[in-house]
Amino acid sequence: MNINPENLAAIALEIVGSSGASVGQVRIARHDTRGIALRDGQVENVASDSSTGLNVRVVHNGAWGFGATTELSEAGVRKAAAAALEMAKISSAVSTDVVDLADEPVHGKVSWRLPVEIDPMQVPDSEVISLLKSWHERVSKHGAVHHVDVQAAMGKDVTFFADLTGNEISQERDRTSASLTAVHVGENGFDDMRTCAPPAGRGYEYLLGTGWDWDEELSRIPEYLDEKTKSPSVEAGLWDLVIDPTNLWLTIHESIGHATELDRALGYEANYAGSSFATIDKLNNFKYGSDIMNVTGDRTAAHGLSTVGFDDEGVAAQKWNLIKDGILVGYQTDRNIAKKIGLSRSNGCAFADSPLHVPIQRMPNVSLQPGKEELSTNDLIGQVERGIYIVGDKSWSIDMQRYNFQFTGQRFYEIRNGKIIGQLKDVVYQSKTPDFWGSMSAVGGKQTYLLGGALNCGKGQPGQTAPVSHGCPSAVFRNINVLNGRAEAGA
Amino acid sequence: MSELNISQATEYALELLGNSGGVAVGEVSDSANIRWANSSLTTNGNSIEQSLSLAAFVDVEGGIACGIASGQIRTRDDVVKLVEKSKASALAAGVAEDANELTAGSQTIDFQKAPATTDLSGLEKVSKDLGQVMKNTDAQYFGFSEISTDTIYLATSAGLRARFEQSSSRFELCAKSIDRSRSSWSGESGISLNNVDVFKHAKMVDQGLVHQKNKIDISPGKHTVTLSPSAVADLMIYLMWTASAREAAEGRSVFSGPAGGTKVGEQLTTRKFNLTSDPKYKGLETISQVISMGSSSFASTFDTGLEIPAVNLIENGTLKALGSSRYTSTLAKLPFTPLADNIIVSDGNGSGDLNQLAARMKDGLLITCLWYIREVDPQSLLLTGLTRDGVYVVKDGEIIGTANNFRFNESPVGMLNRITDAGEPTFCLPREWADWFSRAKVAPLTIADFNLSTKSDAI
Repeated sequence: MNINPENLAAIALEIVGSSGASVGQVRIARHDTRGIALRDGQVENVASDSSTGLNVRVVHNGAWGFGATTELSEAGVRKAAAAALEMAKISSAVSTDVVDLADEPVHGKVSWRLPVEIDPMQVPDSEVISLLKSWHERVSKHGAVHHVDVQAAMGKDVTFFADLTGNEISQERDRTSASLTAVHVGENGFDDMRTCAPPAGRGYEYLLGTGWDWDEELSRIPEYLDEKTKSPSVEAGLWDLVIDPTNLWLTIHESIGHATELDRALGYEANYAGSSFATIDKLNNFKYGSDIMNVTGDRTAAHGLSTVGFDDEGVAAQKWNLIKDGILVGYQTDRNIAKKIGLSRSNGCAFADSPLHVPIQRMPNVSLQPGKEELSTNDLIGQVERGIYIVGDKSWSIDMQRYNFQFTGQRFYEIRNGKIIGQLKDVVYQSKTPDFWGSMSAVGGKQTYLLGGALNCGKGQPGQTAPVSHGCPSAVFRNINVLNGRAEAGA
Repeated sequence: MSELNISQATEYALELLGNSGGVAVGEVSDSANIRWANSSLTTNGNSIEQSLSLAAFVDVEGGIACGIASGQIRTRDDVVKLVEKSKASALAAGVAEDANELTAGSQTIDFQKAPATTDLSGLEKVSKDLGQVMKNTDAQYFGFSEISTDTIYLATSAGLRARFEQSSSRFELCAKSIDRSRSSWSGESGISLNNVDVFKHAKMVDQGLVHQKNKIDISPGKHTVTLSPSAVADLMIYLMWTASAREAAEGRSVFSGPAGGTKVGEQLTTRKFNLTSDPKYKGLETISQVISMGSSSFASTFDTGLEIPAVNLIENGTLKALGSSRYTSTLAKLPFTPLADNIIVSDGNGSGDLNQLAARMKDGLLITCLWYIREVDPQSLLLTGLTRDGVYVVKDGEIIGTANNFRFNESPVGMLNRITDAGEPTFCLPREWADWFSRAKVAPLTIADFNLSTKSDAI
């Protein structure tokens, strides 16, 4: 940032401090993004955005107030501080809830940076385009491939947080993602196949092969697609599933990640994203899944999209249990809601996607832990007599209390007597969260563990998006309801 | 902004873009919101955001290239850097397939006028009225209200200068019983909060909770349903988003013809069903010129400034058009069809409001709204999602109680042929897509054999 954040923050904190605010926080942030898209080998878009702004957040007379601006000047920060105090005044008239924050040690003047090898925002567009074109060339040569869409997206967050307690926290983190989708158009319609490479908290080195074997995956995409177009349609009914981490991460995100958000459990998202079946009366006694289910919340995971040094309320990053031996034992919190359920400290999940947005409780990297036995994915497939091995994510949907969900995937392999015999198509799996996790009979070992994730997790009003990762091993689920997508459409 | 205001920055950027030209779009958004849960205010915000987006056109061997860059502008140097960035991106991109002549357009006289500001009086009134509503201790209330005003300055190297002001408002109220066994919702969108009748919405959601006292267990399966305007809007918006001429012509869409080409001209339903987008539609007015900072199947930066006409995508049940840019329309061999940011859905034989339509259904389910809608199968445009905040059981034309929620698996295209009745279009808030698309006037529809695939225990 070219502006002096310390000076701007000092002006705001002086204003809100002298007004009698019990909490005063200033956040100055720059979010850079860039995206490049190719369609059938032609560049469709090359775009970049840089968004910078500041906000002032106060608790005054027990009510929140928030003011924000993109005007990074003394005048701008004074206006934001005044707006925050005014909004607190309006809020206090209708708020029956007194804001009280869980304590957090003062960290003082500190800085943190996500380690990357190549700054993704500094790589020339031409270099990225050249790489993506080479991917297109490799895949489009195959006779089964009629169209190829390729895209890459990169982002950087540079933030400065200061508060009335004396914190001055500077942070920087990057993320990189890319995907390729190959499309087949035939007599019986069309099909597609997308790469499974997840977005990652890494630099541009990720697209060059650090952390993902692009060569291997790109070389297989055409044959995966070709086989899919010729594969039989699935028979609807109960199937055992072996779910690959490239698919299971999203099921974890929807059925555990959002369900263990404390603000949802307390009703704060009830009008929009929804609430949660995992209400606080269930803490430490609810059987969420089978005994081999262990899930952590983690803002420290290497290359995690939700990994930070400190959250947007100045709370240091932590790792903690959400589900232990199948029992719900924890939630994701910010400082306000942590205090509401009697926790002495927040686990650091406050996040805002823009300096113009209020920090709300957002998801840490929520991950299913691998098993103690060193089981490979093939070992897990070997445990299944009649089942489906599911790879890659695609369609997803879950209800507003995180019970009923439905997912599809990229590839579905039929398993007979412990062996894969070929792809199926039109597979849709549907279940209820506690039933699904209760049916988990085996988890893979560390060698099957992969950090998946998404850049676009949505929540809050006004809507905010957050990047988040989910690690997991391959796992086996018994007797899951499988629907046939074509039959569901009446075909 | 210390050195130059947003309209000056827009002009300065265009000057720096030079002979090859381009497009500059300055935008200032002034917004304020309040949010409440458990009958208490939770968060609020008041922000002003300004940004400048540039599309640089650069002459390269074989044609014209285009690069996009956007950011905040505080100094003249910021504009210089943004121009450099957009030009560099253009050079890297190479020849743009969709390159076309920019339209000359006209020059507005108010291009230098300062950005509009948001009137907070409506939000204050909503806040005050909510204070009254939340005194009711028989239920707890949740919701969100927002008012925003965007001022857009559009300038192109072809001489076009246009300034747009567009306000958008939103009010949502959800009521839940104290034991959380019942939940109802009401919402509206518009251009001002001043006329929002908070007490009317409160009455509706309170009435919903009363209806829900009688729980009736309904099994999943194919049911006759009446979908509220909000629910229909969410399904039809998705249909509109997939109505791309290029995708259809390439065989990658539900609107692809079985033997190549598209389904334009094909009858999708025997009903006099209409799906229209019209930037000048009264009550849903929106920007009537293309502003596209990027290219896709639906839009091209090079089309910026062209007029957006009223478009009937579906007219009297027949697919009449598919969305396109000038470039993609030539690929699809269909007329150029830019789409506006609104949707109007009607049925020529429709009559009455939602309650009258539900009464005419006799026996079936009245669905308040839909949630978490996602595409399952693009070939049939099979969508999945959930019913939410009120599935009312109608028997002999009367609401007799409430059913559980369901997951649906339905195609908004496939279901058109199963419309059995319709009401009059009304302004509504599409609950699922309102963050991206809130201007809708949509008829409630009764659909036979709507696929409520599985039961949801969610309240």
